[in-house]
Amino acid sequence: MTNYKIIFTGPVGAGKTTAISSICDRPPLSTDKIASDMTRDVKKTTTVACDYGTVRLSGGDCLHLYGTPGQERFDFMWDILTSGGIGLVLLLDNTRANPFQDMDFFLEQFQDFINQTQIAIGVTQMDRKSVPCIDDYHNHLSKQGLTIPIFDVDARKRQDVSLLIKALLFSLDPGLIENND
Amino acid sequence: MDNHTSPVKIAALGMEQRTYSTLQLFFHEHCKDSYVLVEENSADISIIDMDGFQARRMLEEHKKHYPNQPSILISLSHDKAHDAVYIRKPIMLEALSSALLKAKERLQQSTIKAPTLKTPTVETTPQLQMTATPPETAAPLLRNNNNVAHNHDSHKTAGQEKSSSKHFNQYRYSANFLTEDADLEQINTKLAENFNPDNPIQTAKFQYQPEQTLQGYFQQAYFTALQTQQNVLLKGVWRPITILHKSKQLRVEKNFRHLYALSGMLFDKSDVSITILDNSVDCEPRLHETVLPAEPFLWKLAMRTSRGRVPADTNFTAPIKLIRWPNFTRTIITPHALRIAALWAKQPTSLMDTASYLSVPLQHVFIFYTAAVSLNFVTPVMTEKNHAAAALPPANRHRYRKIFQNLLERLRNN
Repeated sequence: MTNYKIIFTGPVGAGKTTAISSICDRPPLSTDKIASDMTRDVKKTTTVACDYGTVRLSGGDCLHLYGTPGQERFDFMWDILTSGGIGLVLLLDNTRANPFQDMDFFLEQFQDFINQTQIAIGVTQMDRKSVPCIDDYHNHLSKQGLTIPIFDVDARKRQDVSLLIKALLFSLDPGLIENND
Repeated sequence: MDNHTSPVKIAALGMEQRTYSTLQLFFHEHCKDSYVLVEENSADISIIDMDGFQARRMLEEHKKHYPNQPSILISLSHDKAHDAVYIRKPIMLEALSSALLKAKERLQQSTIKAPTLKTPTVETTPQLQMTATPPETAAPLLRNNNNVAHNHDSHKTAGQEKSSSKHFNQYRYSANFLTEDADLEQINTKLAENFNPDNPIQTAKFQYQPEQTLQGYFQQAYFTALQTQQNVLLKGVWRPITILHKSKQLRVEKNFRHLYALSGMLFDKSDVSITILDNSVDCEPRLHETVLPAEPFLWKLAMRTSRGRVPADTNFTAPIKLIRWPNFTRTIITPHALRIAALWAKQPTSLMDTASYLSVPLQHVFIFYTAAVSLNFVTPVMTEKNHAAAALPPANRHRYRKIFQNLLERLRNN
């Protein structure tokens, strides 16, 4: 049996835990704690180590989904988490004060990993705050010469998360075949 | 039949839903309900789409049962095999109006010659019945022909309201409805199997002029709104569409689905107006209106207008580069769209090479290209001398392809 992993990252409250839950086989192992700092304003608990879920594949292989802790102070985990990963899913919360700053931060932090693999970006909470729109994200990225799949996602919806992963996989290998893509 | 009071009854045979809806709209809005769609056995005139599967058989059957009924045949080719009025596709408003008048004259002549003509009872095969009766909007219309003539509008509204709410949901949750789009399924992908981009006759067959279509006018209005940072009003034979530049949305009547039905028609410039509005003008939707995101709307409109073709100025051999990914969670995913987008993002590839490298029908590449280019999501890569850049070898197979395939399969099955 071989193990593969996809990393979910993004700021606190972006929906990483929810996205992993919506896609994995069983409820993910989560290391959430009661938030005791400014994170508390965003949500009651926050992930301090990592989220972890699995997707069983035919042939006995297994895909592991890891969510990074949202708080920057745990960034020492990121290198360990990404080691051996096949790609990155970045989730951004559109209601945060400066989602572009978040995006730039994570793109920079994971730059080496992205260069070696691929990335797909999901923007959550767009139903609560529609600005910036997806087009604005693309415009921001195009200034850096980047063409990345960015979708408006609802992390609770399996279909949305699934589409992000598909975009990631096809970005890694457009020659993949899928009957119903 | 009284020309002034009773509408002429028309049977639309061999038509897909979109064409049928277009006719309904045309009769209602352009002809002021002087024509009405009915079932074949109660029609005065028939309009037959000759490009459909078994169209010839249907025509023969029809002629056998209704030898004196005037027919209007619509087709891509100009086949004069029958004594009928012909309209060549794409159908122009004037051509259709004039064909209807001709058929009406023939009807009047035949009525004078044979005043006691009986309406025959038709027994069609289930397959033919299905072809002649499009789903959804057609069903309530055909149940009670008397209601059709007198309450045509109310039936249409009820049917379309249902459709519009369905479509609105599609915008939000589009990922799984794509294969449900009848238009995509009806495209005969075998037509382009031996396509030669150097053959002008073949290339002409797979190209169209978006400028005179609703797609073209909407595109023009949309980009005018974005460039001028002003709201824009688009008027034509359809109800007015207001494009809201700030939110990139359009304000449109709730029964907006019929707009997609207009995608196959050409409109003269003189019938369309694009007006830049003062931003202080109130653009809040009225009671009968709704607000839609503009990008998915234009995407779908272009996809429907394309029907497996590309805009006329398309270079089939120039590598195509993806400028930005479509927002696939809220936009129709055309067949193989994710793969094509990923390929063009990774390595600009021509339309021809894309189909060959991905082993997908060329028309699926055309559909994606047309939808994407309508929103400026893709661009051809040209050299300094305005020649297509040289094609690069296809992207390498990933070492984990097998596991990726496995995962894709898993995502599809769950």
